[in-house]
Amino acid sequence: MATTVLAPGATRTYRRSVLYEWLTTTDHKKIGILYLTNSFLFFLLAGLLALVIRSELAVPGLQFVNSSTYNQLFTMHGTTMIFLVLMPFLAGLGNYAVPLQIGAADMAFPRINALSFWMLPLGGILMFSGFFFGGAAAEGWTSYSPLAQAKYSGSGTDLWIVALLLIGTSSILGSINFLATIFKLRAPGMTLLRMPVFVWTVMVTSLLILLATPVFTSGVFMLYIDRNFGGAFFDPASGGNPILWQNLFWFFGHPEVYILILPAMGVISEVIPVFSRKPIFGYKAFIFATLLIGGLGFSVWAHHMFTTGAVYLPFFSLTTSLIGVPTGIKFFNWIATMWRGKISFATPMLFAVGFLSTFLVGGLDGAILASPPVDFALHDTYWIVAHIHFVFFGGTMFGVFAAAYYWFPKMFGARLDEGLGKIHFVLMLIGTWVTFFPMHLLGLEGMPRRIADYSPAAGWTDLNTVETIGSFIIAISVLPFMWNVFVTLRGPRDAGDDPWDGYTLEWATTSPPPPYNFDHLPPIRSERPLFDLKYGHGARRALPSASVATTQEGAS
Amino acid sequence: MAGLAGVVLLLGGCSALYPPNAASSQGADIRTLYSIFMVPMIAIFVLVEGLIVWSVLRYRRRKGDDELPVQTHGNNLLEITWTVLPTLLVLVLFFVSWQTLNKVDAEPANPAVTVDVTGFQWQWTFAYPQYNLSYTGIGDQGPVLVLPVDEVIHVRLHSNDVIHSFYVPDFLFKRDVIPGQVNNFDLNLKDAGVTYTGQCAQLCGMGHYQMRFTVQTMTPAGFQAWVQTEQAKAKATPAPAAGGQAGPTLQLSASSTTRFDESTLSAPAGQPFTVQLTNKTAGAPHNFSIKDASGKVLFTGLPLAQPGQTVSYSVPALPAGTYTFFCSVHPTNMTGTLTVK
Repeated sequence: MATTVLAPGATRTYRRSVLYEWLTTTDHKKIGILYLTNSFLFFLLAGLLALVIRSELAVPGLQFVNSSTYNQLFTMHGTTMIFLVLMPFLAGLGNYAVPLQIGAADMAFPRINALSFWMLPLGGILMFSGFFFGGAAAEGWTSYSPLAQAKYSGSGTDLWIVALLLIGTSSILGSINFLATIFKLRAPGMTLLRMPVFVWTVMVTSLLILLATPVFTSGVFMLYIDRNFGGAFFDPASGGNPILWQNLFWFFGHPEVYILILPAMGVISEVIPVFSRKPIFGYKAFIFATLLIGGLGFSVWAHHMFTTGAVYLPFFSLTTSLIGVPTGIKFFNWIATMWRGKISFATPMLFAVGFLSTFLVGGLDGAILASPPVDFALHDTYWIVAHIHFVFFGGTMFGVFAAAYYWFPKMFGARLDEGLGKIHFVLMLIGTWVTFFPMHLLGLEGMPRRIADYSPAAGWTDLNTVETIGSFIIAISVLPFMWNVFVTLRGPRDAGDDPWDGYTLEWATTSPPPPYNFDHLPPIRSERPLFDLKYGHGARRALPSASVATTQEGAS
Repeated sequence: MAGLAGVVLLLGGCSALYPPNAASSQGADIRTLYSIFMVPMIAIFVLVEGLIVWSVLRYRRRKGDDELPVQTHGNNLLEITWTVLPTLLVLVLFFVSWQTLNKVDAEPANPAVTVDVTGFQWQWTFAYPQYNLSYTGIGDQGPVLVLPVDEVIHVRLHSNDVIHSFYVPDFLFKRDVIPGQVNNFDLNLKDAGVTYTGQCAQLCGMGHYQMRFTVQTMTPAGFQAWVQTEQAKAKATPAPAAGGQAGPTLQLSASSTTRFDESTLSAPAGQPFTVQLTNKTAGAPHNFSIKDASGKVLFTGLPLAQPGQTVSYSVPALPAGTYTFFCSVHPTNMTGTLTVK
């Protein structure tokens, strides 16, 4: 890790063990990498749970697990993917990239940053320890009351609650940290409307977390009181209201969907312009659409409750219909960015285009659910499972992998192998469609979600078998990625500072950047300061062909 | 030939994108609405995927092309267009969907038949208050809901414990069954003599996947005849004999829907005995039944012990051996060993 030691904090010369360094670091880049590593480990764990779920559903009959284990598996899969994989993946990317992209030396509160991270593995271990104490939580990631009350569920649910209190607190602290960093630590010249789109999406996401997560943590705390001290908040048997839980949960839960997709959209909006050799089309409209999604996101939560008979349907139907519009604007922006560009298809760009083509389905199959009567038919069926996976797997996870391939050279000074990357991409794209698309059809045929088994007479067997095959394709697709990381980290660190001919400030420092990031910054006069430096005002017009990582084989 | 096969495949694939033909008029309205939504959905899907594929193919960087493309930052006219048109589209769809919602949720004043549906872990009870008839599900297929066609049916949903959801895929409809809140909906069925399967759609615990039921439709006349027969049958069934208990009495209780409080019982061989079942569960009925090692049911205890009740079941003499006792309402998880010696 040869870096120029220029920053004041790096002058201490005594050596510490690498382990001690990583355990005590407050460097946003190291914490970012810790976040990403931790998320990836939980991603593997949640993926294993998913494989057991899919294996159980491949054919009728209970072959591998009984129904109460099955309920624990999908509960832990969902909770882990949302709270320990997707959220921290995005927080990790934000941690790594945001200070670099705005020309800051670190996050505003480095030690709080470390605290936010270390709560996550602790929370994850607590939640999974339920498996050793009479069974993990088994009420789904939504944990509806009264099912989540003590008389219907075991102590795994208490561990689930405590873990989510920790993780929720971690997110709240993290969001405050991001907001303080973005508002106070931008480099001179980096006005709000010159910030990279990714930074904007992290900012809006942080606002959403700050407003929504306290409602959720209060809710789970109330559930804890219900379960252990007779709180009677959500249990109708003692005068509580189960719908209150659903309102609290979804007041957080729906903004959570945008918390999980906006930064991935931000990643895509970094990758597509760089690999199309054009600026993002309609920067201001894109920012406006992001803000609109954030704002409208707080008025749509009850569309998860259309079938409860306890919701004023037209209002939430209208707001939910409208929230499709800003997402549509973004799609047109991305396509217009590629339009008449000179696109090269290195792996980050492949995942970005993969994001566009699969996330589109997650947008459309969700938009139709804004209609309450259609929702009466499709709610709680496999249609919903298809929708959530097209959004979170086809969307967020493709964004996360695009980011991983894009920023890996910055993090470690070496580029991941393109060939292995392409294998990863192709397998993951095929696996995603084969696994999740047939779920729409099962939903239309009436297969409810969260069932451990189904009757052979139901006619759902063939599609389920296909989905199970698809899930194993996804699992296999992760192997070339892991091998790629392993091999690349053992190889030479020769990526250079700016392997993609990038636009934003992180490419203006070394790879990896030194502690405190920059010794000098280029002037910032647009949202693409580095592009201006390289191409602006009579500088060269030609693209560098050799140093640009994108290769011609990718384009032919 | 291949082209024909392709067209058939395409049509087959397309019809799979639509829900089944609805059994109820409300479901038919929902299906129509779904079809209306699918037109712009498919159009947008084809348009956007087409634009993506076109951009990827047409604007890829070619060998030796080292010139920077034109740096377009935006286009107000375009951006306004692709903001306003989608807004108009979703507003139109919202209003169309609102109209259908009003039709689906309409509840005419005088329904012909009212059904009280009660969900509990993990069975259903279907009761007809007009006719004093009630059916609680037993076994893994659950109860049968008999309904007339061509008449307005009013369904009221009650829960005794956790949240369930009453869902019949062929109705294209579900509604949650929530404790402390009675939900309603109305239904007009079309075809007589048809059987539809339904099941709980809201996760309600370990037996959720087995919480099934069946809907059986009849002509209005057939339905009335069925009601007469069932009422006569109910009168003919004697009330459970109080007192007259033969042989030793075994105590059994159930505090939850997951298992009996006792996992083993023993009874004398060749002699009738009595099982006194105390139901301490808040929401669900139980009973005491016996099957042999081959799974053949030898005894089914009726009536069910309702929550809070204690019911005595007189069991006929059994030869020595090991049997399984179980609750017919929760047959997979509430089991125990009965030793007869």
